[in-house]
Amino acid sequence: MKRVWMVGVVWVFALSVWAGEHRYGPYPKLYGQECASCHVVYPPELMTAAGWRQVMQQLGKHYGSDASLDAGPQAEISAFLERQASRRAKHAPTEASARLSRSNWFVHEHGQTPPPKVSFAHCEACHTGAEQMDYSERGLRLPAGYRQRGD
Amino acid sequence: MKFLLMLLWALSTPILANTGVAVQIQARLAAEARAADATFQGFSVQRGEAFYRDRHGDWSCATCHTDHPAKGGRHAVTQKAILPLAPSANPERFTDPKKVEKWFKRNCNDVLNRPCTAREKGDFIAYILTVRP
Ligand code: HEC
Ligand code: HEC
Ligand code: HEC
Repeated sequence: MKRVWMVGVVWVFALSVWAGEHRYGPYPKLYGQECASCHVVYPPELMTAAGWRQVMQQLGKHYGSDASLDAGPQAEISAFLERQASRRAKHAPTEASARLSRSNWFVHEHGQTPPPKVSFAHCEACHTGAEQMDYSERGLRLPAGYRQRGD
Repeated sequence: MKFLLMLLWALSTPILANTGVAVQIQARLAAEARAADATFQGFSVQRGEAFYRDRHGDWSCATCHTDHPAKGGRHAVTQKAILPLAPSANPERFTDPKKVEKWFKRNCNDVLNRPCTAREKGDFIAYILTVRP
């Protein structure tokens, strides 16, 4: 009996390590409240602090939309994002627009061109677990016409 | 009988409570509208509906909140689902004045390229409160 239990624990642990790599969060409630009304919560770990700073300084002109916030929540979310941000150069946005979908890492994983009528910013179009911040391969469902990498 | 009354009360409270906040917001907006224009005669459901549907440039309010705001909508750029805007279908709506103001600021700016006037906001709320599922 004890052995079964032990095997169970090891198995669950192994599973969570395996799956854990592409799971993110949980994040502070405020981040979800303020940054997930118009799109999924983007994992802070997938962009550098400089990228997040730029996003947070231009919320009034946010990729063509007004996403402005009061000073209080703005400062709180900025601090959280910068604390949690990636420190790796491959996650730095390569364009002035500060998109995490335009970093070297992202383009390496996803290629240059999204499938017809899909924006790369629309993560849940392919990652069905994106609302739950789950980017593991199990949740992938690729739209027709999508050739990843090397296109 | 008493039970029925209790049941009625229980069912109606959330609706009352939440139109309550909308009515408070309306009262504040009416004062603002009167201050801006002495001939202001009160808000209008018809004007509110027209405002809701009119395109100003590319978008109208209906672009994301649908032709019938008791239905769920979709964000025009990101396709993300948006819960219904009409309180009759979504009792969370118009229960938090700060949230309402935050979205007026953003969405008016996106649709009209300017802030909405107090009259436009009041007309819009007058309309949205009449929408039934
Ligand atoms: C009013 C709606 C709205 C709100 C609120 C909002 N965003 Fe956005 N966001 C957008 C739109 C629209 C886009 C562009 C999507 C596209 O290009 O398809 C976007 C894109 C982004 C991108 C770029 C995605 C990419 O392509 O890499 C980031 C990063 C981002 N938002 C972060 C945030 C953060 C952080 C917050 C909270 C402070 C926030 N957003 C709140 C509407 C919003
Ligand atoms: C058009 C479909 C599509 C969209 C949209 C998309 N992805 Fe992906 N993503 C993929 C595919 C396919 C892979 C698998 C790459 C591989 O392992 O070969 C992937 C892999 C990933 C991975 C795991 C990388 C690894 O190391 O295996 C992460 C994290 C990720 N995507 C995040 C995102 C985020 C965040 C967004 C939104 C900003 C997004 N994706 C949008 C298709 C997409
Ligand atoms: C580009 C898409 C878009 C357009 C166009 C748009 N809205 Fe919105 N609206 C949203 C989103 C997203 C939310 C937040 C959704 C949520 O809270 O679930 C929202 C929320 C609101 C709220 C908050 C209500 C509450 O109490 O929760 C109000 C008020 C509102 N919109 C009014 C308007 C008005 C008025 C217009 C037209 C001038 C308009 N919207 C046009 C996307 C849009």
